Amino acid sequence: MATVHLQADHARHTNGERELEVGGATVGAVIDELDARFPGLGVFLSDGASVAIDGELQPRGTTYAPVGPEAVLHFLIPITGG
Amino acid sequence: MTAVENPPKKYKYVGTRPVRHDGLEKVTGKARFAADLSLTGQLRGVMVRSPHAHARIKSIDTSAAEAMPGVKSVTTGADFPDIDPAAPIYDESINVIARDEVLYHGHVVAAVAATTLSEARAAAAAVKVEYDVLEPILTIEGALADGATISNKSTRTLFLGQDDETNLASVAPFGRGDVEAGFADADVIVERFFTTKAVHQGYIEPHACVVDVGQDGKASIWASSQGHFAVRSKTADILGWGTDKIKVTPAEIGGGFGGKTTIYLEPIAVKLSQKASRPVKMVMTREEVLRATGPAPAAEIAIKVGAKNDGELTTIQSTMKYSNGSAKGYAAMLGAMSTASYRFPNLDINTMGTVDNTSKSAAYRAPSAPQAAFAVESCIDEIAKTLGMDPIEIRLQNAVVEGDITAMGAPHPKIGFIETMQAIKDSEHYNSPVPEGAGRGFGTGFWFNIGEQSSATVNLNEDGTATVITGSPDIGGSRASMALMAAETLGLDPMRITPIIADTESVGFTDITEGSRATFATGMAVTNACLELIDQMKQRAAMMRGVEADQVEWVDGAAIVDGQDPLTIAEITGQAKQTGGPLTSTASLNAAGAGPSFAAHLADVAVDEETGVVTILRYTAAQDAGTAIHPSYVEGQMQGGSAQGIGWALNEEYIYSDDGVMENASFLDYRMPVASDLPMLETIIVEVPNPSHPYGVRGVGETGIVPPINTLANAIHSATGVRMTDLPMSPPNILKAITLQKASNEQK
Repeated sequence: MATVHLQADHARHTNGERELEVGGATVGAVIDELDARFPGLGVFLSDGASVAIDGELQPRGTTYAPVGPEAVLHFLIPITGG
Repeated sequence: MTAVENPPKKYKYVGTRPVRHDGLEKVTGKARFAADLSLTGQLRGVMVRSPHAHARIKSIDTSAAEAMPGVKSVTTGADFPDIDPAAPIYDESINVIARDEVLYHGHVVAAVAATTLSEARAAAAAVKVEYDVLEPILTIEGALADGATISNKSTRTLFLGQDDETNLASVAPFGRGDVEAGFADADVIVERFFTTKAVHQGYIEPHACVVDVGQDGKASIWASSQGHFAVRSKTADILGWGTDKIKVTPAEIGGGFGGKTTIYLEPIAVKLSQKASRPVKMVMTREEVLRATGPAPAAEIAIKVGAKNDGELTTIQSTMKYSNGSAKGYAAMLGAMSTASYRFPNLDINTMGTVDNTSKSAAYRAPSAPQAAFAVESCIDEIAKTLGMDPIEIRLQNAVVEGDITAMGAPHPKIGFIETMQAIKDSEHYNSPVPEGAGRGFGTGFWFNIGEQSSATVNLNEDGTATVITGSPDIGGSRASMALMAAETLGLDPMRITPIIADTESVGFTDITEGSRATFATGMAVTNACLELIDQMKQRAAMMRGVEADQVEWVDGAAIVDGQDPLTIAEITGQAKQTGGPLTSTASLNAAGAGPSFAAHLADVAVDEETGVVTILRYTAAQDAGTAIHPSYVEGQMQGGSAQGIGWALNEEYIYSDDGVMENASFLDYRMPVASDLPMLETIIVEVPNPSHPYGVRGVGETGIVPPINTLANAIHSATGVRMTDLPMSPPNILKAITLQKASNEQK
């Protein structure tokens, strides 16, 4: 199970929980499981978030990025730039 | 200028300073910017803009304009498809041309194309628009007031899981630890309220494009932008077209700094061209640029920081409010997330983004970070002075290192914050005395940097030269950087490499040049393509030598087979026809592992206490570049960011009338720094390589704008004893603060 950290913004959908153990072999699968547990959260994570896997910021939209069983994921708001 | 190179130099070409490939064309004025282009039969397009900051459009009558001499086409919002407000392109679509409501002064309501510019202007003036004028919302405070008029009725509280009208773009908290306990444990607490005004990116080249819709219905667009693939996709989405119906050729870009990551003209020019069956050129005036293209957001930041007597920072609590202008955005959240430089064990930052009736904000180099850093770094400076600590020492004591947690919760990867501050501490500037009567300030900045999608094709020519083709517009010397990374990988002199920025049909998809990503991500694509070419050349060399490919080594630009003379690239490409045909390679990627960048700045200033004028006597910027591919252009980015940050700090601001009209929409009244305002901006390149990039690149385009505001505020405090908390720190505002300080001191 990966350890998933959510922003407080996301935690509105999780009854305040911000650190969760979630199964899934890819970022997309993790999002799917989170959405199943907390309906409505998925769209905020897939469309409106960046994700760091084990501290490495992934490009936006990489839902197929692999997630190891001991991985630590941080879902962040979209990071762009100027 | 000094270059501190932490790791020993290990490259032949990376880190050298060849003349940029596009330099001669640019300094001789021959480079083609969008406004330089003209097509046979071309019309000139002109916008009709709203005279009101907020109004309902009752009717638009274009009949008189259409009947005027030379007029060939007219368009209004009615010609554009309705777009779902939840769609990502909605806000940009509405910003390009208003539908039923104008959201800021200067919002486009119609456009006209005519044979000459003067005819088009005359016709634009003849378009009759009837409005119901509404109350404009012009400030953060106004947007959040009870019962405030809704500034943009498409803004909904969806981010709260609701669906009500609102002037809020976002609300989001960030937190960890126990803030109350943290403050209870603190020996020193500083509490302040900071404000910043909207400022413009100030690129020299106004937005411009030339569009020709052919008889086949396909649009050819020549445009200045930070990403021509984005021009294609955004134009397609706004028009409801497929991307196959649009080809975008990048013109040279005369500055963007984040402001050309969005589009304003192209969909309208397409409509005008389509209707007239003629090419249409559109070029904004400076006034249009300032009134109707995205400034960086204004902000209001309440902040409280606690520390122990030994300098340990224990707690930060803040409410950060940013104005997004007329549309939704993440400005406030980005500001909070950029608070990532110190190990505050207790952190509570609440963010609010507001929507109002000023022009839609846009990214500006490290968007939202300068405002947040102004607040954080000013408070740390105040704590250091209260505790009698050196301003660099207190920061070194609390600085984040690899593995430390950012405000957003994720750990930092390998970073060079400490090395960057140490570079200033070791500098000749820091170790020289402060000039008599002057004040010295130190400050820092952080930016994330991003990866995203890039493509590159590298062709080897028959004489052993190479062409490097990418889709990243060259904003700050990226042609030279791409050539240098290709040169290093192939072992080929960079001046034998021609870097090209290809149109949307001649190279793979490439995301916008933003987030300091081009040298990082597109550079990786170029490197990967070159590595594939080396494999190809080893196979060709094996054929030429009659050995297996695994017996060939690639050393310093040549194929080596034991006991035989090296085969150079030119010798291999010269035999390409005989060994299998042209040598070419393409690589594409969605790059992970962007390396955050930190900057530390030092300034000496003199403040004339009779006029309030701040004179910068000396200024030094240090920044972690990871690896400086072309040090001159890294220094250029650092100097450019510093100059823009200095302007933001000392002079620049959008000034609005009560009815929402920008009152200083020219470079005469919107005061940006010019060369004579600045000393030589000294630079120190720090190199802590990013392990996720083949040459260690971090990206350098944005971080340099973050420290100047806080550095100068800290320097002004050192010089005058006045803590400036409102921008700009312009002569009248400095004078006012000094007067208030004196009055306060006299009362004591």
